[in-house]
Amino acid sequence: MAAIIKVQGISKVYQMGEVRVEALRDVSFEINQGEFIVVLGPSGSGKSTMMNVIGGMDTVSSGEVYYKGQALHQATEKVLTEYRRHAVGFVFQFYNLMPNLTAYENVQMAVEIAKNPLDAKVVLAQVGLADRADHFPAQLSGGQQQRVAVARAIAKNPDLLLCDEPTGALDFTTGVQMLKLLKEFSVQYKKTVMIITHNAGIAEMADRVFYMKDGRLESITVHSHPVPPEEVVW
Amino acid sequence: MLWRKMWRDMAENKIAYIACTIVIAIGLMTYTSMSMSKDHLFAAKDEFYRNYHFADGFAKVKAIPLPRAQSILTDVEGVDQVNGRLVKEVGVLTPSLENVYLRLISYDETQRHRLNDVQLLQGSFPKIDSHQILLADKFFKAHALSIGDQIPVVIDGQQVELTVSGSGQSPEYVYTLKEAQAIAPDPRTFEVGYLPYEDMEMLFGQKQMVNDLVFTLKPGVSFADVEGKLKSALKPYQLEALYEAKDQLSNAMLSEELKQLEKMAKSMPILFLAVAAIILYIMLKRLVESQRGQIGTLKAFGYRNSEIISHYLSYGLFIGLVGGVLGGAMGTALSGVMIDLYQSYFSLPNLVAGFSLQYFLYSLLVSTLFCLFASYQGVKGALKLQPAEAMRPPVPIFTKKSMLERLPGFWQMFTMQGRMALRNTTRNKGRSFFTFIGIVFTFSMMACFFSIGNMASEMIMDQFTHVQKQDVKLSFPVPLPRMQTVRELQHVRGVHRVEPMVEVPVSLRFLNHQEDVVALGISNNASLYQVFDKQGERVQLPQTGLMLSEQIAEKLGVKLGDVLEIDSIWAKEKGKVIVERIVPQYIGSNVYMKQDTLLGLLRQGDFATSALLTIDPKELTSFKDQYSTSKFVGNLEIRQEMIAKYEQLLASSTYTLWIMAVISVITGFAIVYNSSIISLAERKRELASLRVMGLTSREVMEIISVEQWFLGLAGVVAGIPMAIAMNQALAKGMGSDLYSIPGTISLEAILQAVVGTVFAIWISQQWVSRKVRKLDLVEVLKERE
Repeated sequence: MAAIIKVQGISKVYQMGEVRVEALRDVSFEINQGEFIVVLGPSGSGKSTMMNVIGGMDTVSSGEVYYKGQALHQATEKVLTEYRRHAVGFVFQFYNLMPNLTAYENVQMAVEIAKNPLDAKVVLAQVGLADRADHFPAQLSGGQQQRVAVARAIAKNPDLLLCDEPTGALDFTTGVQMLKLLKEFSVQYKKTVMIITHNAGIAEMADRVFYMKDGRLESITVHSHPVPPEEVVW
Repeated sequence: MLWRKMWRDMAENKIAYIACTIVIAIGLMTYTSMSMSKDHLFAAKDEFYRNYHFADGFAKVKAIPLPRAQSILTDVEGVDQVNGRLVKEVGVLTPSLENVYLRLISYDETQRHRLNDVQLLQGSFPKIDSHQILLADKFFKAHALSIGDQIPVVIDGQQVELTVSGSGQSPEYVYTLKEAQAIAPDPRTFEVGYLPYEDMEMLFGQKQMVNDLVFTLKPGVSFADVEGKLKSALKPYQLEALYEAKDQLSNAMLSEELKQLEKMAKSMPILFLAVAAIILYIMLKRLVESQRGQIGTLKAFGYRNSEIISHYLSYGLFIGLVGGVLGGAMGTALSGVMIDLYQSYFSLPNLVAGFSLQYFLYSLLVSTLFCLFASYQGVKGALKLQPAEAMRPPVPIFTKKSMLERLPGFWQMFTMQGRMALRNTTRNKGRSFFTFIGIVFTFSMMACFFSIGNMASEMIMDQFTHVQKQDVKLSFPVPLPRMQTVRELQHVRGVHRVEPMVEVPVSLRFLNHQEDVVALGISNNASLYQVFDKQGERVQLPQTGLMLSEQIAEKLGVKLGDVLEIDSIWAKEKGKVIVERIVPQYIGSNVYMKQDTLLGLLRQGDFATSALLTIDPKELTSFKDQYSTSKFVGNLEIRQEMIAKYEQLLASSTYTLWIMAVISVITGFAIVYNSSIISLAERKRELASLRVMGLTSREVMEIISVEQWFLGLAGVVAGIPMAIAMNQALAKGMGSDLYSIPGTISLEAILQAVVGTVFAIWISQQWVSRKVRKLDLVEVLKERE
């Protein structure tokens, strides 16, 4: 398996007023094509900052980040936009759907900007929302909205799917359904999925688990036999 | 503490608040400047009229012995004081090619209480028998003369040198026009000068005669009371004109200007204040919406509703005060500029700019109340919020598709951004409506202003390329035998064509309406003076009847086929004519007849009062030299010079129109910018999510801009009928006896206004897109506020 993301000694320092915050300190790792990764860590451990950096939304103070050999740490805003557009899919904790587009239109919007997208209708059917395609977000439940959000991210057919607490706002059953969807995408299309969460239970289904603390990557656990999402408990 | 919060809120959105303040200030600036100028003009006029005894009535006769004039008038009951004068127009010889005329007016040196008296500004009154002249100050200045200079004038074909004794001004010539057809004063080519009666009677060989009478009426007597008696008393002396102060040219123009100013001072500020109120309303409403959480917190702390409301009202109060002070100050400054401008047109003493506390305070009060009202409207929703409810974010519910989406094919034309944009217009209907109204306003104002500019040039082009095609017009001080005159002129070198004209003052009466106008008798197959209808088709003159301009027809309340009674001081007796046509006329207000028909009605023989000529341009100069000094020629008017004069006048008004257009663009900018900023603030999270998904900032901007363009398009479409309506109201309001304005909007004006509107929208989007580029992407991954 080839590494699609390569991170070497990255640090990120914020100046918050008079306080200097070291969000990331000398973090290095590689992520391979098709891997399912869960990032665990308490609040403020640097998980989100790390995901923002990998997702092309934030820059680093030092160190190097590569996507398929392309340097992201010194890329321009324009290059980063292209990177996000074609290589990355995001699933947000609070869905962030466009309230004035229907479920189908929300997915289709992502399809319109991608290079090699999946069919919006097919993806919506995969997440079990074929019959809700014409509904606006306000007419959908939280779980349904999150499924639209996942469909929207998947439909772009990105190499990398980044999910920030995808189950954080959902009940247990719906949460499990969500994880199943993500796992299926990873397996079916051989895509990399990275989930950030507080929820240690989810870690069981990952190929690898990253533990973050105080801006450092403390340890990496490898599961040779990850648990299927249906058996995950929290 | 809440004051500090207000400061910071405002600083965050300073452009929006500044734009709003500017719009308010502009509105008040127009109000204070116009009101102040109006007051000063009124005061200066009233004082001048009073101190220098502006007459109540005016009469012109061919000639009347001076003692007779005095006695006739004092015999008529109701007439108080009478002054008889000699008034003669003479050509001034200048080295330049220009035609320069002076109207010489005699005054009685022995009289102490002279009517239409002259205020001496420089030098002294002329000494008797010394060929001295007191010149109108504007002429004196326009020709850079000094006291003691000689000016050569032509009197009865003879050159006479007059010595300048001083300069002055009189209430009779505050706004000096040679004739009603002239559009603006031109002190270089026409003004008045004053000579002692003794000098005038000698120079013109009119011993003990006068040809011009001015008089006052006893208190409680109206002009109508004495008009009939005066007419019959003066008829034997060939009465040429008899009119009251209201119709005196200078006074009529001055009153018209004051009336316009008064109207404008009332309507313009309302327009701008309304726009400012809309902007303020939108902004404060949005501010309250975006601060729901904060309001909830304040309420939870135990802040009273009244405290919260007064906090948000303080935004309006602040803007109102700043806008009011700014507008009042700018208005005072502008009124100074306006007064300067008026001074260049009007000869009024004591016309000085000054500060008026009354208007300043009034504008402050108006703007403060206006802003408080607008902000109260915007924030009153905050009262109703429950603390817990206030802390929850409001959820825009989208559950319905619009009608448009059901049109097959239509919805598919749009990208997702386009669809979002279109749906956004219905997301906040109130705001979309305000943006729409704002664009309608911007567009129609601009279309209207540009149109006035076009209309003015249309008026002039119409007059000089269609109606009057002569190269030269000769006006005769006394009517000349028609055929003989034409024959003589035809033999002058370079003259191609000669057409005689008969222009006589007539009174038209229909039922109980009466109008005094100039009747034009146009020769058969005339090609140098033609009349056109609204479609631009040439109108044939009726064989026996009368053709009227629209304004006169309206005033008399006549329609085609009505029979009018026609009377003229030039006619032997009253006659009757039928109205056969009604046509538009932009400059002046005339009635037209065939020359022979008019001469037949007058029964004074075969004569002409002027002649229209086409002439070889090479011969123009020698023709002018030959005729400008002739005693048979009162006025020699060269078409090219007239056109140049009008164009010059237009250029100065274009400047004003541009200012108005710029103001419209600023207003449009303020509205579009504000509503874009508000949309942006509301959808920050959405838009940032799109950026995270990989949309470029340009694509994200598209969502906001397509919405604005869509509203812009709708605004322009709705603005066209609005502009036409505004224009028609304006054309009606601005039209007068002297000129009228066609109430149409040209395609050109519409296109210019579209360009202006597009510019306003585009420029505001440039500002907004800077904000889009600065959207914080990381923000969206954080929890909701």
